[in-house]
Amino acid sequence: MIAPVQALIVAIIFVPALFVFWLSLTESSFGQRTTFVGLANYATVLGDPYFWRALRNTVVVVLIVVHVELLLGLAMALLFASGVPARPFMLAAVLAPYAVSEVSAVVMWRYLFDVDIGFASQALKALGLPPLEWAIDPTHGLILVALLSIWLHLPFTFVILYAARLAVPGELYEAAQVDGASPWRRFRSVTLPLLMPAMLIAMLFRYIFAFRLFSEVWLMTGGGPARQTEVLAVYLYLEAFRYNAFGDAAATGWLLVLASLLLALWYLRRLYREMFAAHAS
Amino acid sequence: MRPDVILRRLLKGLALVVVLGWSLIPIAMIVVSSFKADRDIFAVPPRIAFSPTLVNYAGLWARWGDFFTGMLNSLVVTAGATILAVLASTMAGYAYSRFRHPALAGSAFFLIFIRLIPPIVITLPLFPAVNVLGLNDTHVVLIVLYATFFVSLGTLVMRTFIDQIPREVDEAAFIDGATRGQILRRLIFPLSAQGMVAVAVFVIVYAWNEFLFAFMFTTTRAKTAPLVISEMIGAAEGVEWGVLFAASTVQLLPVLLFVVLAQKHLVAGLTAGATKG
Repeated sequence: MIAPVQALIVAIIFVPALFVFWLSLTESSFGQRTTFVGLANYATVLGDPYFWRALRNTVVVVLIVVHVELLLGLAMALLFASGVPARPFMLAAVLAPYAVSEVSAVVMWRYLFDVDIGFASQALKALGLPPLEWAIDPTHGLILVALLSIWLHLPFTFVILYAARLAVPGELYEAAQVDGASPWRRFRSVTLPLLMPAMLIAMLFRYIFAFRLFSEVWLMTGGGPARQTEVLAVYLYLEAFRYNAFGDAAATGWLLVLASLLLALWYLRRLYREMFAAHAS
Repeated sequence: MRPDVILRRLLKGLALVVVLGWSLIPIAMIVVSSFKADRDIFAVPPRIAFSPTLVNYAGLWARWGDFFTGMLNSLVVTAGATILAVLASTMAGYAYSRFRHPALAGSAFFLIFIRLIPPIVITLPLFPAVNVLGLNDTHVVLIVLYATFFVSLGTLVMRTFIDQIPREVDEAAFIDGATRGQILRRLIFPLSAQGMVAVAVFVIVYAWNEFLFAFMFTTTRAKTAPLVISEMIGAAEGVEWGVLFAASTVQLLPVLLFVVLAQKHLVAGLTAGATKG
């Protein structure tokens, strides 16, 4: 009964992933014979300044996006847990960005930050701040990409943390209050430790998914100007489909897989133990 | 009321307004602007009061017939991927919930492990493979890809839901001579309907909105709505904001409505998938 699921996964993800590893060790382009080149592709990629630029951009964006999301998600979860008016409506509003496609989100944020007519650009101007020159300035481009990603994925982080917060028994807070703990003390000694597992899970998932960042960058800046806002997935795509360097792209792909594995190592180990403990009995 | 209570209420109200604005302004902006004529779209400062017009929707209909084919393709692909993913996940979820075996534990671990592989990585070998099979630019490719990327999460969610159905229910049916297939169809499917809806919500939202695979594997016939919108963004003759807003609105509203209505299931699925996985 697990056959359909496993068949799909093996055929569509596992075998192709292994094949990418083989590709990463060969020199090939469309329609040509492949030759084995060992680790040469990895050397090429690691010697490419554009790769390092893409890696740096990815890491910076991921770190900002995931941590800001966690902080905002936590603050919102606590706000909602303290009781809000019209709760179903408020929840629906907060979840709304989850329904928005990356493409439509790019439309929204490009329009909001359009230098001439954008609502946000005008608001910045009214506050005496310079507008985000996201089409010209790579840093500004990445800031806009980060804002957009946070907006799109905050609902996920929020839901995980909110559900975890609701699972904390109310008696703990009552007991803390009876003992005369201040709100800050209650937060530090009750809320934070009990939410920690959920925060770690949310953080891990978001790290892994944020690392794949492609559409937002591709549709917002296309990696430009002058390849300066590329992230790893965009770099991989361009190597493969624009510069026809399949080997280099495959090597980048495996570096991406390895990075994801490394990020998730702690989680996988815990899970592995739990699963085999539960299933072997 | 004591002043500090009033202050706290004020701060909380302010926080709620900020949260609402952050979540809804970008969406409201394009929905409202899709009913604006160009002169109102380009007005500085933005106009709140304007006479609504359908001119952008007319323009979308007249110049981007592609978009409506795209909507239809999105519908077909989403329906196909959802059915495939939900059925496969429910079957697997049942097996993982009811049977214990080290090999099964190993394969469950594999399910989670596989989620770590970024989709873009596997497009490298799939792209030529899909071409060789003549599946390029078909609904089938997208259906299979979308379903595959959600069966692992789907299986975990279904296992959590099926775990809540007492084992005695299917054991009793088994003793009465029901086959495994009958148990699955007559008992497990109806009793785990909530979980199936939760999985369906994920797949529907994902398949309806997905960009990367559609971008890689479809060109004309099977092009989905998000892909057509992305072409509008990159249109050589410059962005037609009004038409773009109209298209985004048409693409967005059905799934937004769906998420709002299925909110409860979405939250249940997200928590079951993330914490129990």
